[in-house]
Amino acid sequence: MNLFNIISELEKVDPEIMDRLSHRRSALSALGSLGKKMALAAAPIAIGSAFNKAVGQNTLNTANEVLNYALLLEYLEEDFYAQALAAPTLAANLTSGSAARGAIQTIKNHETAHVNLLKAALGTNANPRPASFDFGNAFLTYPTFLTFAQAFEDTGVRAYKGQATKIQSANQPAILQTALQIHSVEARHAAHIRYMRRGAAAGGQSNIMPWVVGKEANGAPDAVYGAGNPAATFPAEDNITQATLTLTTGLGATYTAADVSAAFDEGLDNTTVTTIARSVVTF
Amino acid sequence: MSDSVVTKFLTRSLHRRSFFRIGGAVAAATTLTLAGCGDDPVAPTGSSVLSLGQADAGLLNYIYVLEQLEAAFYQQVLAAAPADMSTEDKDLLTQIYQHEVVHRELLLQALSVAGAGVLSNLEFTFASLSLSSRSGVLTAARMFEDLIVAAYNGAAPLFADGTYLLLLGKIVSVEARHAALMHDLLQPGSFADNSVVEASGTFAGLERTLTVAEVITELNKYLVIKVSADNLPTA
Repeated sequence: MNLFNIISELEKVDPEIMDRLSHRRSALSALGSLGKKMALAAAPIAIGSAFNKAVGQNTLNTANEVLNYALLLEYLEEDFYAQALAAPTLAANLTSGSAARGAIQTIKNHETAHVNLLKAALGTNANPRPASFDFGNAFLTYPTFLTFAQAFEDTGVRAYKGQATKIQSANQPAILQTALQIHSVEARHAAHIRYMRRGAAAGGQSNIMPWVVGKEANGAPDAVYGAGNPAATFPAEDNITQATLTLTTGLGATYTAADVSAAFDEGLDNTTVTTIARSVVTF
Repeated sequence: MSDSVVTKFLTRSLHRRSFFRIGGAVAAATTLTLAGCGDDPVAPTGSSVLSLGQADAGLLNYIYVLEQLEAAFYQQVLAAAPADMSTEDKDLLTQIYQHEVVHRELLLQALSVAGAGVLSNLEFTFASLSLSSRSGVLTAARMFEDLIVAAYNGAAPLFADGTYLLLLGKIVSVEARHAALMHDLLQPGSFADNSVVEASGTFAGLERTLTVAEVITELNKYLVIKVSADNLPTA
């Protein structure tokens, strides 16, 4: 690759990129007497992550922005399950009194509760519910519905996780506590939706585990399990490196990439999450 | 989020950043290996109680002991699985066991870097549990998985150093997935029932948390040598 061309292209898009890179990256300023482009050329491996960090995509700056972002996701999930429970195409599977309907109703109730919690926390700062959510072909069949549900729940888990340190650095311990308690509920939902997909009515997909193995999307959009931005902070779900250690071989024994990747859920930045949502939902 | 908290987490002692990261990662791994050889054992606080330590290192020890508990439990169960457990049951529990071992070993490395005394190789006893049937095993597994989710959710905000938060967050949602599965295997549809998630009231939709003290009480039921959380932060 030609780094000079890349830098030059970046400067066209973002004229301040060199300033941002040098401000953010202590190593670059430490090499002040060298030309900045020379310094970058000497560190080809670093350029990708340096650029990603300089334009990090967690663009939410205040606790209220984080909460409104979470609120939008909860509005979306709540509406998704409400539409599913009312969809004629799903009536044969979500029959009254069935375990499947009970589970979807439980999840829908939780999403409603999360909406109410977030609205209460935001007070008059709460953004209104979008006029409508169009989920396209999501409710065409029962397996399709569950595929979408898996995508939304797994994305939800990644989305909350992606904001955790932001909330903490905003010194909002009560909000952090609440977010953690929502986060694990979303993970329970995700596990159950995945478990439902193993069942006969959903196609008996016994390869689908309650946890995320590698970045296998099981029919959901690949981006749900892909890397966020910056990828160093928000790697894809097949990540096997934690805290700089390659866990398959770095823990004194050998573990499979499948087990290592499944042992950790990765976070996602808000821009990537919103892009995923808008790729399958019109709102 | 400006910096990679996870990278910072293990490389902080090197004070290396930026494009020294690649070299730093190798150095960190080497340091870890060496540190692992030189750990001082945590001094007992009394005749038969082990202190978890204090501050962030103590909290890491707390999480580490919980992961040891889970791994020891699944190891024992899988070594003599009840006859009425299906192949699928055993496959699912085996995968969970592997996740817990990876968590346990990573936390051991994290403790070494944090310069903390480490409570390694603790001995557990599950004699009080009925583990001779599928339902007995799954009931115990459900209890432990729910316990650890509540413990993580309660402890995560106590860390002074935010660098640990994302890592713990990556683990706790996997524990919640385990917990949901154990619920479903025992009673389909109970993945997030009102034993763990508030169904009504002000806190509806939130998973319950447990304080360190509450978790330690449960944990000590299965430890041969008990631990003390007396010096851990509570708020």
